[in-house]
Amino acid sequence: MYDIIDALLNRALGFGWPGWVIALISHLAVTTLLFVIAPLQMLFLTYYERRAIARMQDRIGPNRVGPAGLFQPIADGVKMFTKEDIVPAAADKWVHFLAPCVVVAPTMLMFAVLPWGPGMVPVDLSVGLLFFFAISSISAVGLLMAGLASSNKFALLGAMRAVAQMVSYEIPAVLSLLAVVMLTGTLSVVQVIEAQAGLFISRADVPGIPDLGLGWFIFTPVGFLAFVVFFIAALAEGERTPFDIPEADSEIVAGYMTEYSGMKFGLFYLAQYVLNFLLCAIAAVIFFGGWQGPGVNWLYAQAISPANPDGNWVFNVLAGFLGVFYLLAKTYAFFFVMVWVRGAFPRLRVDQLMDFGWKFLIPLTLVNIVSAAIWVALLRWGPEQGITFTQNWAPVLRWGVAFVVTLAVNVGAYIALARIFAAAQAGQGRIDLDEYRDTLTATLR
Amino acid sequence: MATVIQIIFGLIAALVVGAAVMVVTVRNVIHAALWLIACFFGVGALYMLLEAEFLAVVQVLVYVGAISILILFAIMLTRQVTGEGVRQLVGGWRLWLTAAISALLFAVAIVPTIISHAWNLPAPPGPPGTPEPLDGVAELGRAFVYEFLLQFQVAGVLLTVALIGAIVIAFEERARRRRVLTLAEEHELRKRLAQPAPMEAPAGEPAPAPRAAPISEGEAQQ
Repeated sequence: MYDIIDALLNRALGFGWPGWVIALISHLAVTTLLFVIAPLQMLFLTYYERRAIARMQDRIGPNRVGPAGLFQPIADGVKMFTKEDIVPAAADKWVHFLAPCVVVAPTMLMFAVLPWGPGMVPVDLSVGLLFFFAISSISAVGLLMAGLASSNKFALLGAMRAVAQMVSYEIPAVLSLLAVVMLTGTLSVVQVIEAQAGLFISRADVPGIPDLGLGWFIFTPVGFLAFVVFFIAALAEGERTPFDIPEADSEIVAGYMTEYSGMKFGLFYLAQYVLNFLLCAIAAVIFFGGWQGPGVNWLYAQAISPANPDGNWVFNVLAGFLGVFYLLAKTYAFFFVMVWVRGAFPRLRVDQLMDFGWKFLIPLTLVNIVSAAIWVALLRWGPEQGITFTQNWAPVLRWGVAFVVTLAVNVGAYIALARIFAAAQAGQGRIDLDEYRDTLTATLR
Repeated sequence: MATVIQIIFGLIAALVVGAAVMVVTVRNVIHAALWLIACFFGVGALYMLLEAEFLAVVQVLVYVGAISILILFAIMLTRQVTGEGVRQLVGGWRLWLTAAISALLFAVAIVPTIISHAWNLPAPPGPPGTPEPLDGVAELGRAFVYEFLLQFQVAGVLLTVALIGAIVIAFEERARRRRVLTLAEEHELRKRLAQPAPMEAPAGEPAPAPRAAPISEGEAQQ
């Protein structure tokens, strides 16, 4: 954005403004854009989810307001705004008021490091990936505030469930990202995307590969396992259906949102859908190349960029459109999978959720980190790091050996852990009721 | 530009100090914890202003995201959350005396630092022709694997052991604990308890059904 504003104001119009004014203008423009885009995404996603889940349940879904029910989210928004705002008499007024804000604000901040297209990232932090997850953990504080301030047992139970779930599933999410960080050697989101140029094999691994923007990490065994773990953890962090325990409506009314009405409830709703959008988008960015796709890099090479200040702005627009198209297509595809999972699976119990996160996903990600290390050692390291036997191998051979070894490690770890986990779970399956009755009567006697 | 940064610094510093004052003055323990979170967040913002991005993010991740949650969970397990009717240890003139002694002790520590500190720091490097800024994360990582390798390894092993230990403890706890019955199983169990077992309970002896079935009235009506 900075380059484009600079080219427009200082070069085309000749204002000659200092750099910080240009930076301020570009940041303000980007921020305004994002604050408009986030609610629009939420509106679209609610409609999208309701239509998709309706189709899976053999219904039609919202179809009255506007063409094919497209304005239904706007009608819902108006309804939210006009509803009465009720605060319980026993509630802690200020904390109750602030909780929705504390939940929404982090989701907005997370947009700061999400790249939409080539050169279209609001802030290219050198620790972007870590920033994303650090900020997302703040919303746990907001949920706990909502639960504590409502002075309602259901709200407190929901908040405790939500926080326990978020804290537990943050670990597999971050550990699965650690494998990708090891592969790329950077925490910057932009560089993670740039490392995924290529054609099924990343150009960073084998230099001569043609660049079609398809060298995604999902095509490597390490990236695949990391993606599966990350997506499951994302379902839990976004409170999507197999893990929607915090707001299990058949058990604890609506969890931490029980005592909220009107637009405060709307803010929780907004935060949830924006968070889901962001988690899908970051999954697309890290494992599916984000805006990478056929043609984007070629278009961007001719556009105005820091490397090429004299480019043509038409290519900026074209590369931007194509990049945003690819990113949104991947994001909506992941969101569709989330809806699909919601249509297909029942809710887990709390103990099943915790068992699965701590005893299956975390060991799996730890193994994945080891295979990421093997991948790096075989592909990137040479005699300087003490790896001499790969010295004379061709890059493709190195890649092939790394692929086979990491695949074997990951598949072996998966099978072994799945058997251990299944054996542990079998111990708490259905119990023999006759035996239980006998012990019960024996203890009562 | 420098003025803008001064103003931003002033605002963040006011937030940090104000939040810290509120932590020790509010009576409600939960409010104190929330103010403490605000204080942590302000410190993270200060790190960001100093362009120590990694430190800022870790501050948010560890303090705001994890430690504050721990504090809030601990508070939930305590009574007397609102702090009303709690007797203060000191009051009246003794309070002021305590405050004065604390301030004096703090001054003993801080005054020599202020006097001996070099305040005329060189101006922050401007845009034209500045050297490449240090990449904090990369420098930190290099320091961890070259200079402080042993310390890093020890800390890493310690934390991993803690993580695995937590999982192992959870495994053992589960093995010892009896599983909670589902509603259908409780129903079935109650049915079986109502009809006495063939050999253990001879005819005429009443079955211990009412106490044995842990089913509330509401569930029974369903």
